[in-house]
Amino acid sequence: MKRLGSFLLYLSLALVAIFQIFPIVWLFLFSLKDNREIFSGDPFALPSQFRWENYTKVWEGGIGIYFWNSVWITALAILFTVLFASMATFAITRMKWKLSKLVLGLCMVGMMIPIHSSIIPLFKMFLNVNLIDSPWSIVITYTAYNLPITIMILLGFYYTLPREIEEAAIIDGCSVPQMFFRIILPMTIPVMSTTVIINMIYNWNEFVFVNTFISSDHYKTLTVGIQNFIGQYMTDWGAIGATLVISVLPILLAFIFFSNKVVEGLSSSAVKG
Amino acid sequence: MKQKKAITLLFALFLSILVIAGCSNSDKEKASGSGDSGDEKTIKFMHLWPEGSSKTHYTIVEEIISNFENENPGVNVEVEVLSNEQYKDKIKVLSTSNELPDVGMTWAAGYLTPYVDGKKFTPLDDILQSDLKDSFVPGTAEAYAIDGKTYGLPLELNIATIFYNKAIFDEYGLEAPKTYDEFKNVIKTLSDNGVAPIALGNKDRWTGSLWYMYLADRIGGADVLTSAINRSGTFEDPALVSAAKEIQNMVDMNAFVKGFNGLADEEAKSMFMNSQAAMYLIGSWDLPNFTTNEDIPKEFRDSIGFFNFPTVDGKGELTSHVGGPGVGLFVSEDSDVKEEAKKFVSYFVKAWGEKSVTQAGVIPATKLDASSLELPQMYIDVLNELSNATNITLFADVQMSPEVAEVHLTQIQALFGKEATPEDFAKKHEEALSAQ
Amino acid sequence: MSNKWIIAFYVLPALLLIGIFIFIPLALSGYYGFMDWDGIGAMTFIGLENYTAALQDVKFWDSAWHSFLLAIFSTLSLLIYLAIALILASKIKGSDLLRKIYLIPMLLSSVAIAQLWIKIYNPTSGMLNQILLKIGVENPPAWLAETSIVLYAIFIPILWQYAGFYILIYYAALKNIPDSIIEAARIDGASPVQIALRIKLPLIMGIVKVTIVLAVVGSLKYFDLIYVMTGGGPNSASEVMASYMYKLAFDTNNFGYGSAIGFLLLIITLVVTYIVRKLTATKEEIQY
Repeated sequence: MKRLGSFLLYLSLALVAIFQIFPIVWLFLFSLKDNREIFSGDPFALPSQFRWENYTKVWEGGIGIYFWNSVWITALAILFTVLFASMATFAITRMKWKLSKLVLGLCMVGMMIPIHSSIIPLFKMFLNVNLIDSPWSIVITYTAYNLPITIMILLGFYYTLPREIEEAAIIDGCSVPQMFFRIILPMTIPVMSTTVIINMIYNWNEFVFVNTFISSDHYKTLTVGIQNFIGQYMTDWGAIGATLVISVLPILLAFIFFSNKVVEGLSSSAVKG
Repeated sequence: MKQKKAITLLFALFLSILVIAGCSNSDKEKASGSGDSGDEKTIKFMHLWPEGSSKTHYTIVEEIISNFENENPGVNVEVEVLSNEQYKDKIKVLSTSNELPDVGMTWAAGYLTPYVDGKKFTPLDDILQSDLKDSFVPGTAEAYAIDGKTYGLPLELNIATIFYNKAIFDEYGLEAPKTYDEFKNVIKTLSDNGVAPIALGNKDRWTGSLWYMYLADRIGGADVLTSAINRSGTFEDPALVSAAKEIQNMVDMNAFVKGFNGLADEEAKSMFMNSQAAMYLIGSWDLPNFTTNEDIPKEFRDSIGFFNFPTVDGKGELTSHVGGPGVGLFVSEDSDVKEEAKKFVSYFVKAWGEKSVTQAGVIPATKLDASSLELPQMYIDVLNELSNATNITLFADVQMSPEVAEVHLTQIQALFGKEATPEDFAKKHEEALSAQ
Repeated sequence: MSNKWIIAFYVLPALLLIGIFIFIPLALSGYYGFMDWDGIGAMTFIGLENYTAALQDVKFWDSAWHSFLLAIFSTLSLLIYLAIALILASKIKGSDLLRKIYLIPMLLSSVAIAQLWIKIYNPTSGMLNQILLKIGVENPPAWLAETSIVLYAIFIPILWQYAGFYILIYYAALKNIPDSIIEAARIDGASPVQIALRIKLPLIMGIVKVTIVLAVVGSLKYFDLIYVMTGGGPNSASEVMASYMYKLAFDTNNFGYGSAIGFLLLIITLVVTYIVRKLTATKEEIQY
């Protein structure tokens, strides 16, 4: 009975796994086809002819610079977001002050705004401070717009951190910054990794802000590279597929790295220490 | 200890990224400096033909710009390219902050009106009367005129015709229909034999609008739709209602591919290109796919022909078309380099007219001497249709104001999906048109 | 620990960023809501006209209902994600690999996911209908073309897209539970299912509540896949609040009205979130 149960469990887990992994396989096949093959028939059929030229086409389209912009803009925005969000969450959950509920409320409201209603006001603001067509407008926007959700996720974890450790630290004569950077932050590596992954995905795939705020080619990011292949009357889907494959690889690697941190972090953290 | 290391590492990374970001920020200083600094003048130009998807268009634009810069020392053209949707969104955002490019692309009539009312575009009549006198096909530049002034100069001219797959037609002994009864017979024969008669991607909605416009034109004459839109007539005209009825009859005959209301035009097109549907109503911008595009098998390209929308019960003219100019160039009213920008537009229109048809397969809105060019037969046929045309009705959603166009397009989907009766369809249009 | 300066040091960076770059635009868009403005010409102040018009706008309320349905489905599907996370976190063989695989769809951009599902749903050549035909279903539906099913058809890719996101959060929360607690329960003879439901679940209840709020808020302002896959059609059958707002502001030049709808979206979200928080409230946060 128990064996049958675990067999069924694994079977269903495996089915779900297939369902979740097939988009990557599909995307790869997609990137090697031309429009005719993409639109007709079986999406999982092998391409009649492997069109690697989709990749060369994409590469010659100057994707390198977009790629680099995506990397540093994403990384920088993540750093700011996770650091500031951790600090704010620390203050909200670990210190007693009157306005903490209000600040938390503001964060919640901040999550609720549809980006299309803030895009025109934001454009005007950045124009006034001369940040239009500067990558900083993108870094700042990503940081600000990801802060609320990051704080919300961190919040649930901070509430569960045992208070005894802090008390011990205070008794040992730790200052607040020492406690935050040396004790709290390392303890939250698993959840920080979680928020890093989430932020990374958001920033990496975002294109509305980039398209609106950036006009120079040398500041555009990878998602804009896709736009290059969408035409007025014709769209080169094979090349879009190739761009998507190129853009998913680094994020897949980074994801595996941080995904391990979600587990590893804890074993080296102070909880067990 | 381990944690301390990790944190130090984190901050080192953070700092190094700041430094790198700082570096890449410094070359912006060099790149910027638009407008006129000293003797150098910069024209900002936005267009919607990215290199990846519209290589031939893009290349011509680059050629024109570099020739223009060579002939006009001290003038630079700074280009930004976006895809269609993104272009429209960005123009919208830029206009709210008075930041439109010096030269950009616009659509005719309904799209243009708010920009003209808001004094964002400058009249181009001076270059139209001097440099470009008599160079446009009659009726094309007029689509960009509001209250007697012209605010855009068109680059393309298209008509919609029904393309058909001769191989499929031959297989069932069919011929290109001249009358609507013959056309219905074609649909019935194909449908009875399990062949999807017409590829239609009505998710995009303007595609279904083409079918409706042609039926309205044939049943009620060339003016009926236009006068309903410009309020000299009414949308509850019996001809406009019976055109709507006829659409639903076609749907009942299974004339259109399965699930057309959920398909994008691109998906429908690919069905036609893969011989999964026998007919496809589309603008002449798709001609390269049926003639010169080497990515498409020659066998397929050779099997494609086109016919004009048939007459309905002896009514309507085969020479009356749905179509009109596509994108055109505007010059911003607030431009600091207006004179240079106008000069550039004039230069661009002329050069585009010479190059576009042979290099990119685009029929320009400027007059062409077809006999002097070497073109595929289908182009010659379409150009002949254009020169023999007795009427070209501008695409309905372009004629209408954006607000009414949205009602029209939603109603088109409802009509094709049989969620609105022909009477309701007409009534909703009449309401929207009289409300503005 | 109540030194004002220390608190300010920790809170201000986040607060300033949110205040300046989220709340000022928000206030501005509320202000545009009082205007008759096409986004191109001059603005005219028209008071509450846009807001009262919106309240009587049947299309707006239809789209609000669609968004609301999405919120319900997203919240219900949290149960499935939670179950998967509980299984993955219970140290079964291969759970590490499975977990990574399960999160893959989340990495793809909406552009890719939309294309994939458009192809799956294609009425003639799509995978779904091919399978249905093979198992003997006659005339399977055109999923994205029929007004009665399009909304539900489009929910599936949305839920699928976000599955990884929630599984990841739950998994991290479960891994955060000290082993000693679970070890103690095991020694007391609790079965894995008991441990999952009686011990693990209550311990991560705080984060579960957060995810409910995230799911509701995210659904009410959802835009991406719907816009690409159906454009809100056919005949507005899959229109949601955000896509309706976008159409008004960017397609039909009704910028003032669009801003008012955007603002109403926010208010509706606030109200719904408040209700959700009240419904899920417990007296105290769980402590170890």
